[in-house]
Amino acid sequence: MKQRYVLRVNGRGMEAAAEAHESLLDVLRENLRLTGSKKGCNEAECGSCTVLLDGRPVVSCLVLVPDAADRDVVTIEALATDGVPHPIQRQMVEQGGVQCGYCTPGMIMSAYALLLDNPDPTDDEIRFAISGNICRCTGYGKIVKAVRAAAVEMKGQAGNGGAAS
Amino acid sequence: MAIRRGLGIGSMYYGIGYGFSRADIGSAEIEMAEDGTTTVYSGACDMGQGVMTVVTQVAAEELGIEPEQIRVVAADTGSTPDAGPTSGSRATFVQGVAVQNAAAELREQILDMASRMLECPKENLVVRHGQVCEIESGREMVSVGKVAHQLHFHGRRAAAWGWHDNTTADVDPETSQGDAYATYGWATQLAEVEVDTETGRVRLTKLVSATDAGKAINPVAVEGQIEGGATMGLGYGLYEQHILEGGIPRTNSLAFYLVPTAMDVPDIECEIVEVPDPRGPFGAKGVAEPATIPTTPAILNAIYDAIGIRITETPITPERVFFAIQEARDRGEFEED
Repeated sequence: MKQRYVLRVNGRGMEAAAEAHESLLDVLRENLRLTGSKKGCNEAECGSCTVLLDGRPVVSCLVLVPDAADRDVVTIEALATDGVPHPIQRQMVEQGGVQCGYCTPGMIMSAYALLLDNPDPTDDEIRFAISGNICRCTGYGKIVKAVRAAAVEMKGQAGNGGAAS
Repeated sequence: MAIRRGLGIGSMYYGIGYGFSRADIGSAEIEMAEDGTTTVYSGACDMGQGVMTVVTQVAAEELGIEPEQIRVVAADTGSTPDAGPTSGSRATFVQGVAVQNAAAELREQILDMASRMLECPKENLVVRHGQVCEIESGREMVSVGKVAHQLHFHGRRAAAWGWHDNTTADVDPETSQGDAYATYGWATQLAEVEVDTETGRVRLTKLVSATDAGKAINPVAVEGQIEGGATMGLGYGLYEQHILEGGIPRTNSLAFYLVPTAMDVPDIECEIVEVPDPRGPFGAKGVAEPATIPTTPAILNAIYDAIGIRITETPITPERVFFAIQEARDRGEFEED
């Protein structure tokens, strides 16, 4: 039986009618039409559905929608500001961290969660943070480079009176 | 823990395209609008390899316009001519030439009309940065968009079709001798590994790859292909195993079929070697699969360098290395620390 759930997605209250056994990923994609999060394996192995739940990265395919109710969900759609890509998004393009693009939204969300926590990560910390996100195209090197460059860029912005959030 | 380090080299060559007289064709259409915007209809499908970018760059370079002026419609059976699959490391090498041929014909149409408009011999004109220029003075005379407009105004086309047949002769059916492919890619990789002689675990700690790209049309994309390809080679060497039991796949998810994660892949140093190939677009040839092939041999040789044992089965799982060390010990052939 479908029930109404109230979700806080990207800072906005949203309602969705869903079965209690439906995943947050399915509700994001099918009910709310937020298709940036990808459904790769649907069993928590590939990471392409990664979103933030109360600030922590989770694979949304394994979160049941009742468990996401009244909590803060942040998806890839929230990262750009007024059509301007987030530094991680821009650097992913700039450094060649995107090939087929399927892992990219989840990869960026894992990196975003890392940089919220740790604005100056080492390469090993970056690799650990994205180790749950499988990429079959790039070999990861350019993704690591992009996250590193984004971290530098974001620190620079924070230094300019915190103009960018 | 007893960690031993070793270095190993793997080298390969690989036939680019389909070879062996199998059909290997590329085709593209190109059309310029009256503002200079140029659309390439290219049958080559981009699944992340970067062929749409390559098509854009090849068309821009050949036409003399900016990449920003080009739109690519790709792999749409309703609108693009057939260019065969993106496989066999062939898309840049085969489709690149088809696009180059189409762009070259369109450029001639532009120059013919520009010559009439400017009352200037065609051989004195060239297209650069979207402008028809006088060769000697370098002076910009008229934009390509204005020329396309004039072509249309006079009832002529600003559109062309490009075709490329890369089909080769077959080898001798009796002796298998002959030249099966139009060209070959070459690559050498150097692997550095750590082998834990107690557990048998192997880690790749550094990989250097030198790959012959002919000409790197987009160096970042070439590096991406090499790094990604070598990572697949690493997976093939150390992790990836498809297990069938009685016809039933046991490795039916990424939890059982292990592909390399960001923590498994070391820094990969890419050396792009450029020996232009006259048969590819601007000398380019395929690089994708050549990057995958030498990785496993390089790792196997590095393990031999580290522990003096030849592993002959892949993936090189800890169990296989562990038991190979035990067997060598039993034979008295393993050099202890």
